[in-house]
Order: sequence, then structure tokens, then C-alpha cells
Amino acid sequence: MTETTANSSSSAPVAALGGEVGDYIALLKPRVMSLVVFTALVGMVAAPGQVHPVIAAIALVCIAIGAGASGALNMWYDADIDARMARTAARPIPRGRVTADEALVFGTVLSFFSVATLGVLVNWVAAGLLAFTIAFYVFVYTIWLKRRTPQNIVIGGAAGAFPPMVGWAAMTGSVSLESVVLFAMIFFWTPPHFWALALYRARDYERVGVPMLPVVSGTRETRRQILLYSFLLVPIAVIPAFIGLGGKAYAAISVVLGARFLHLAWRVYRSDDGREGDATARKLFGFSILYLFLLFAVLLVEHVVMRLVG
Amino acid sequence: MKAVMTNDSDIGRSDAPAPLDAATEAERLRRQRVRSIAIALSLVALVLLFYVATLVRLGGNVFNRPI
Repeated sequence: MTETTANSSSSAPVAALGGEVGDYIALLKPRVMSLVVFTALVGMVAAPGQVHPVIAAIALVCIAIGAGASGALNMWYDADIDARMARTAARPIPRGRVTADEALVFGTVLSFFSVATLGVLVNWVAAGLLAFTIAFYVFVYTIWLKRRTPQNIVIGGAAGAFPPMVGWAAMTGSVSLESVVLFAMIFFWTPPHFWALALYRARDYERVGVPMLPVVSGTRETRRQILLYSFLLVPIAVIPAFIGLGGKAYAAISVVLGARFLHLAWRVYRSDDGREGDATARKLFGFSILYLFLLFAVLLVEHVVMRLVG
Repeated sequence: MKAVMTNDSDIGRSDAPAPLDAATEAERLRRQRVRSIAIALSLVALVLLFYVATLVRLGGNVFNRPI
């Protein structure tokens, strides 16, 4: 309806009308945000000690908004390549719904408020980690690495791995081995996850000059790297069961899911380019999301049950 | 203010923004109003957030002061 109205005036660019509230929400990358909220929540619930539920809720909201702000800043910087990739062409800036400058201001303001509020109302360790996460995602990943090296998502993946650590710090005011393990799980999950996607989206990345691994080193090397990182990821994902972070259910489920992950990574490694190879990569990509979600969900359930019982 | 509104002398000038038709202008105003409401609600939420958090953090000490 709005689009029809906007398009009805051939002389008025869509941006001249200003964006809808929904466009600004889209700048926050709600789907990424939901994963961040979920992993941060697990970090909070798994952490020892207790804070008032209201303070915990505020911490979660601040982490969510901080993550969203970094998404808006990412869209501001990447607007040029987003417009040329099928996966990102419908984002608010390429569609002309929001200007790049508006996204920059929006992201900056939200970053400042989320960090400051977390610091003042919860604690400054968590706020410092959140600020570092936003800065890492924007400056290290988006601006520095993404267009320069095929290792972009390996190093840049750290930004996505910080939320459970921020959640843990919000509850305890510190960083500990357990929170580092949660970080490591997401950190080592990111490369096989994104490279599986990159395998069947390689042409998109190549067209816009983003040096994803399949573009720079070829699909054979990418398949090999996916398998190597999967071999690193699966044992790391079992560690929580040995340090008291996960219980017996977690131990069993992480082993079973890990075996399935390795099986799919092996199939990707053995497959060749073409429709069948793409289908295998898609399967791994889809399963990787389920894998991380289930691991964190089991941790969440175990800790909630433990708190309710004990 | 008058200069911002559609001014007869602006029509045809290359540096003046193209005038919006009535429907588009109404849509622009609607979006502007919705954005303003969203910003206002966000600010109210932020104030409430600090208010509630202060009560929670201070607890009973809020009322425990010399009058």
C-alpha cells in the first residue's frame, strides 16, 4: 500500500518520504538479533549467582539493541554491495527506504544508548564487552576484513560469539572459563556455517568482490576447510559436559548432534560442484543452525530445571 | 518557513526539490508522524526503564531516608 503510494509519484524518490518504522526495525537484522538474544540468554541463565529479574531483562534488551545497532552500521557500510547481492538486495538501504546516513545515525545512537544503559544499570564489564563486540563487528569485520581476506568470517565470527559472554558478564561481572567455552562454540561454528552458505552463493560474492573462501581458494579448498573446522567444533561443543556447564542430557545430545554435523561435513567434503554439491552444502548450512540452537537450548533447559529444582 | 513551503519562485529552479503531489505529501507526513510517535515511545520506555531499575537497585532504601 505504502509502496504503491510512494511509487505513484514518479518525481519523488522513496527516500524523500522517509522510512516506515518497519524499515528501521529491518536495519536491526531481527533474525540475527534473535540468535544473539537467545545465546546471551543462555549465557545469563548458565552463569552462577542471581540478579533481580528486572535487571536481567534490562541486560538482555541492551544486548539485543547493541547487536541490532551493529547490524544497522553493517548495512550502512555495505549498502553498495548489498544492492548487488540477491540475498541482501531487499534490505532497507538498497531499496531506497532509508538513506545510508540515516542508518549510520540510527546505529550510532543505538550503540551509545545500549552500552551506556547496560553500564549504568547492570555493570561496566558487560557494557565494555558489548562495546567491544559492536566495535569488532563494525570496524574489524565489516570495514577491515570483509572485503580484504577470505579469513573474514573466521576472525569476524568472534563478534557473533561474544553475546553469551556478555550475558555471563551481566550476571557475574566477570569473564570465566565457562563463558569462554560458550564463546569458542560459536566461534568455531561460524566458519563451517558461513562457508557452507558461501559454497552455493559463491557467484554472488564473486560479483561484488567479497573474497569469500570459495571465490579466492576454490570450492575444493572450502570443502576441506569446512571439514577441518567441523573436526575442531564438535569436540569443543562437548566440553561443557566436562566442566559442569552441561549435564548428562547435554553430553548425550552434543555427541549425537556432533556426529551428524561431522557426517554432513564429510558429505560436503566428498561432493563436487553442481546441483548435488549445492544441495549437500545447503543441508549442512540448515543443520548448522539447528545444531547450535539445540546445543544452547539444551543448556538453557538444564540450567532452568536445575534452578527450579535446586 | 515560507521558503520551505512550495514557493512560486522555486518552481522551475534546478536546485529546488521536486514538489510532491498531494497523495505523496500526505504519505510523507504520515510516515513522519509515525516515526515521531515511535521516537516518543522509545524515550518514554527509556525513562521507565531507568525509573524501574532505580527502584529495583535501591530496593527499600528508596523510602528509608530522613524527611
